[in-house]
Amino acid sequence: MTKDSEPAIDVEHLTKRYDDLLAVDDVSFTVRLGELFAFVGPNGAGKTTTVEIIDTIRTPTSGTVRLLGMDVTKRKRDILPRIGVLPQGFTSFDRITVTETIQYYSRLFSCRNTDIEGLIELVNLEDKSKELFQNLSGGLKQRLGIAVALVNDPEVVFLDEPTTGLDPRARREVWEVMVDLKKKGKTVFLTTHYMEEAELLADTVAIISKGQVVAMGSPEELIQGNAKCLVLTLKSADERALEIVRAVGFEPVQDDHKNITVNVEHPSDVRKILNALTDAEASFLTLDLRKPSLEAVFLELTGEALRQGSAETV
Amino acid sequence: MSPDVIRANLVVSLKSFYREKSAVFFTIAFPIILILVFGTIFMNQDNVSLDLHVQDLDQTTSSAQLLKTLELDGRFKIATVDPAVSATQYARDNKLNLVLVIPMGYQKALLQRLGLVGGVPSAAFRNSNASVTVTYIYDASSSSVSPKMQTLQSALGAVNQGMSGEPPFIRSADISILARKFRFIEFFVPGIIAMSVMTSSLSGAVNMNAELRQKGVIRKLSTTPITHGDWVLSNILYQVILAVISATAILLVSYAVFNVSLRIDVWLPTFIVLEVFAFAGIGMILTRVAKEAESAMAAANAIMYPMMFLSGSFFPLEMMPGFLQKIARILPLYYGNEGLRSAMVLADNMAALRCSAIIGVFATVVFVVGIMTTTWEEGK
Repeated sequence: MTKDSEPAIDVEHLTKRYDDLLAVDDVSFTVRLGELFAFVGPNGAGKTTTVEIIDTIRTPTSGTVRLLGMDVTKRKRDILPRIGVLPQGFTSFDRITVTETIQYYSRLFSCRNTDIEGLIELVNLEDKSKELFQNLSGGLKQRLGIAVALVNDPEVVFLDEPTTGLDPRARREVWEVMVDLKKKGKTVFLTTHYMEEAELLADTVAIISKGQVVAMGSPEELIQGNAKCLVLTLKSADERALEIVRAVGFEPVQDDHKNITVNVEHPSDVRKILNALTDAEASFLTLDLRKPSLEAVFLELTGEALRQGSAETV
Repeated sequence: MSPDVIRANLVVSLKSFYREKSAVFFTIAFPIILILVFGTIFMNQDNVSLDLHVQDLDQTTSSAQLLKTLELDGRFKIATVDPAVSATQYARDNKLNLVLVIPMGYQKALLQRLGLVGGVPSAAFRNSNASVTVTYIYDASSSSVSPKMQTLQSALGAVNQGMSGEPPFIRSADISILARKFRFIEFFVPGIIAMSVMTSSLSGAVNMNAELRQKGVIRKLSTTPITHGDWVLSNILYQVILAVISATAILLVSYAVFNVSLRIDVWLPTFIVLEVFAFAGIGMILTRVAKEAESAMAAANAIMYPMMFLSGSFFPLEMMPGFLQKIARILPLYYGNEGLRSAMVLADNMAALRCSAIIGVFATVVFVVGIMTTTWEEGK
């Protein structure tokens, strides 16, 4: 098998059971070398359990997981120096500084040439380098965790909910880090419950719900393949607009800001709605027509999965 | 085993230690405070004189001479009670645990017993049955009244013996098993060292296994090349270092303040290492049973505190009832205390060896069980 064809991660029929709870239910997928793979789903879907099995924190109940061609249950010692892991809710020793934390983990990996200042700069913690871990905010701890995950210059990086708790600016900085990692040829395995994050960054997205992968593909494939509608938004619409849209056969939804959202299947439906509003002289500030988001795809997919009677897992 | 990894862990542990003031206090300052307090309290135990209040109802030269006799050998410090007051009420009002009342007629009875008339012996006047009864007014609830009454009884017995004019039949001679006379503080220091090692090792093991796991630190560490063995060994070394620092501080203060004289040899580090393994092993087992950090720490305290008091760290086992003494002899800290005392005070290598063998076997068993029952992996 050539390097190009060998997957970075190969998961086959992975199952994890805790007593009566089936946390991961027969999950299979492959992650190519050098891609950014996003594992998305709501809290409790099984994302963290799956990623912790792949990055060797947990062991599977059944199934096989191969990471860089090695079985994670048998070759853990060979795998660990080649991966970096940011666990969910990263914590470290409270009374050592940012710099000391990175130094410590680099020593665990026997890395003598770790560019500690470079890592601190990468995650924008220069002015906090002498701060004790316990004094950092949640977001800063997360950023330090990313730096720690990179001390050994890993080939595969696991980031479990890396932007949870970060402000928008910090989130974008982390996104830039992830894009940069991908450009360097690293494989990034991202778990997130932010659909827009996966949509923006990932080459491949796997949607997990109740322990099962319900869909997998590039964001565009998932959106085109599963979301059947366009989304029409009328901003600051007239009070009568809601009834008018309903009268022409659609189901609008209005929010607190008087914005009306309607799912339409064809562009001709948009014309029909606009004509009805014009005839009734009902006004609105602006009009927006978009393709559905990954979140809409998720809602569509998990709703269908439940109605189709898939096995009750929790 | 990776020396770099172990060294990295030691550095982090020691930095975390000295940056946490409460940890430094409880590890170093607390045992020193115990040494200073107990050492001061029991500093003059051998030369202690007992307070004795005496109501002399006779008010004669003879009764005054009796008081002087009691004071002379240094066992009593006499305070007089006004003959006009009720001795019982006086004892109650002043919270005294013992008042000696010398009755009126003491001198008259004494002269009759000695057969003295106007200072001149007279056989006709001598009455060998003449006697006086002194009264002890005492507080039965006081724990120190019993030894005081015994000491007084002994002193009065000596007076009676002297008056009989006959030499005593049974005499006594003291031969100490110790090379020299030791003070209470010299018996106390080894117990404090053993206790300090226990508290540090047991708490450290709970923190290492339960608290860091609960916080998620162990989860991150399990994704690095550090092995469970590296982790345990580095924490054992850390506990040994802390124990040496603590023992050194205790000994320095004891030498500086109380001028103790203790033998420091290979047994001290031996018992320190054995105790660290023993109590770290107990800590690991506890965290398997009580997985939450708070409940594991509570369980550790429930073991530590009774053991401290029952093992002879603070007071001799002989003060306890028989059944508690039997319990003490199955506690590992008892052998730590006895072993260190044998080595540092009594210079008894055989006893130290026996105690070290017992702790060694115990430490091996609990440490192995602790290692086997703790796991590096989540969700097991």
